[in-house]
Amino acid sequence: MEAFRQEIIVGAVVLYMLFCVATGLWAMKRTHDSSDFFIAGRGLGPIVVALALFSSTLSGFGFVGGPGLVYSIGVSSFWMVVISSTGYAIGFFLVAKRIRMIAELRDCLSLPDVVAARYGSEAVRFLIAITIVLGVMGYLATQILAMAVVMQAILSGTETFANIGLVTCVIISSAVLIFYCVTGGIIASVYTDVVQGAIMMVAGTLILITAMNVFDGGMQEATSIILRDDSEAIMPFGAAGIMASLGWFFVFGLGLAGQPHLITKMMMNKKMEDNRSILPMSLIGYVMAALLWISIGIVMRAAVIDGVIDPLSVPDDAASIFLSVFANPLLAGVVFAGLFAAIMSTSDAFLNIGTAAIIHDIPKAIRGHSVKHELFWARIVTVLLAVVAASFALYSHFRDATLVALLGAFGWGTFAASIFPVVAVGLNWRGATVPGAITAITAALAINFVVQLAGLALPYGISGPLVAFLTSMILFIGVSLVTRKPDLPEDINRLMDI
Amino acid sequence: MARGVIYWIFAVCVLMGGLLVAIMLAESVPNAGGVAHSLFPGMQAGEDGAARLEFIGGYAFLFQSLLLILIVALSILGVSERHRSKEFLVYMAASLAFMLFIWWQMYSNHQAFLETGETGYFMGFPIATAWQMYGTWLGAIPLILVYVLGFNKYIYTRDDAEAFDKLLREFKQTEEHD
Repeated sequence: MEAFRQEIIVGAVVLYMLFCVATGLWAMKRTHDSSDFFIAGRGLGPIVVALALFSSTLSGFGFVGGPGLVYSIGVSSFWMVVISSTGYAIGFFLVAKRIRMIAELRDCLSLPDVVAARYGSEAVRFLIAITIVLGVMGYLATQILAMAVVMQAILSGTETFANIGLVTCVIISSAVLIFYCVTGGIIASVYTDVVQGAIMMVAGTLILITAMNVFDGGMQEATSIILRDDSEAIMPFGAAGIMASLGWFFVFGLGLAGQPHLITKMMMNKKMEDNRSILPMSLIGYVMAALLWISIGIVMRAAVIDGVIDPLSVPDDAASIFLSVFANPLLAGVVFAGLFAAIMSTSDAFLNIGTAAIIHDIPKAIRGHSVKHELFWARIVTVLLAVVAASFALYSHFRDATLVALLGAFGWGTFAASIFPVVAVGLNWRGATVPGAITAITAALAINFVVQLAGLALPYGISGPLVAFLTSMILFIGVSLVTRKPDLPEDINRLMDI
Repeated sequence: MARGVIYWIFAVCVLMGGLLVAIMLAESVPNAGGVAHSLFPGMQAGEDGAARLEFIGGYAFLFQSLLLILIVALSILGVSERHRSKEFLVYMAASLAFMLFIWWQMYSNHQAFLETGETGYFMGFPIATAWQMYGTWLGAIPLILVYVLGFNKYIYTRDDAEAFDKLLREFKQTEEHD
């Protein structure tokens, strides 16, 4: 079997991609209008929503960057993972019920629609839509690039595709992504998410078992090796220190309820009561998949320190080298398919909300109505958005990394800082005002941009997104408290009583 | 707490902001945010843990304690005022106590290791890290249990469902009428 390692991996990835294409064709028949395309007609069952929710949470970053971070900074990066229970709990307490109710009451297709209904303000809708579009470009570009780099690494190991170029890999991987997103919209996206989520759970569990058998003494031997080398790296705050760790707890924990691609999925379930089962299912799925992040990272750091393998040239190689050195070829095939699943499940969610922002929300905010023939334009814009993001990715890779790095500033932290107060707090507090929302979003964007542009390094590893998030929370509540209490529309007023 | 929860949230955020400023102004140490590993490129090391906490340990402990209070306060905000019964608030207080206990165990076991250099292990990790790794994950489980088991009592009751259906009918009728 070892002799066919590369062929097995390629076979698993090809099978997975064929499945995505088939799902797109199947979902096309069920997509009749823009409501189907963007929110699946609010008709999804709890298992589908739960798997779609957790698989979109864990992107390619979790499968590639996560183990690399543990290799690099030790336990510090665990904080991004162990907050998942808190993050999901906050998300469901604050957002799940109200966003679902407003979506049904006002026939909302997107998060900016919900925000506009709550605040009665097109300015707030516009700001949220612009934040989403900028974030989507950054996220998508990095995800497409990651997908292409992994594909090139896999294919170049075979004789037939030994000299395959990165551009070809970007075209192949983007084509599959575009195909199922354009044909089947969010329906294809969430049903591929179900399989993607299942693959990620299986991959995470099998990797944990493999990792525990790398050292005779299991995980304890691995952690002991790290402890003897640098105890802080394996202590609770890791090499990056206490404030970096607690900052990640804040931004990744609370911030989950501010991620547009995740909370939009909370609008899609058929029945409100399903939320009580979606929450635990999402959490269990996430925990199983995230085992890969922690176990590969720990074992690779210990293996390098112990001299079992050579030091990595870059930390992000941790997962791929672990798979090639320690994993059975079949398992490697499943994990590589899982990696594509993780990248695609996040990318399709971003394509969907980015398209909604461009054809639905920005025109509504400016002209008072969205474009005609929304479904047709949704498909066109999905293609354009993916092509522009892929071009950004290639330009960044070959010419200048600044562009994607700048757009990358609009990642998780910026979404958390600008969207959490306005949505998660604003949907539960009548006193939230339009000036409060505009001030919070503007401050969050400005702080994240300045920190990113100036390359500011704050003392004790304090992160820019943490400062931005806390500032935007204080400004949102503070400005709302001192500005005139809004007169909410009757239906929203009554809804906030429920 | 049942009614003025937004003021609690605001106060906690302001206090956390103050602590963040205090930490930024505190005397710095060279390895505060980690240093490059002396042998392996791409790896960071934390080195002297006691030195890293010398000037900010207390502030950081308070910061995380306030964050846990914020998490519970936000969860309370997410429940309709009518359902914030005494029983519900007791559950939330117990959840907060559980989360604070785990945080205290993690911090104090780390302190003990820094003082003695000795640690036991639990399920593959040093004790302090096991509190972080397993404890933090489990810390929010009481909140999740309140949500899942108390869904029909606190989150979305039968009365809520009826009120929403009524609102939906009336609003759609008005829309059609317009």
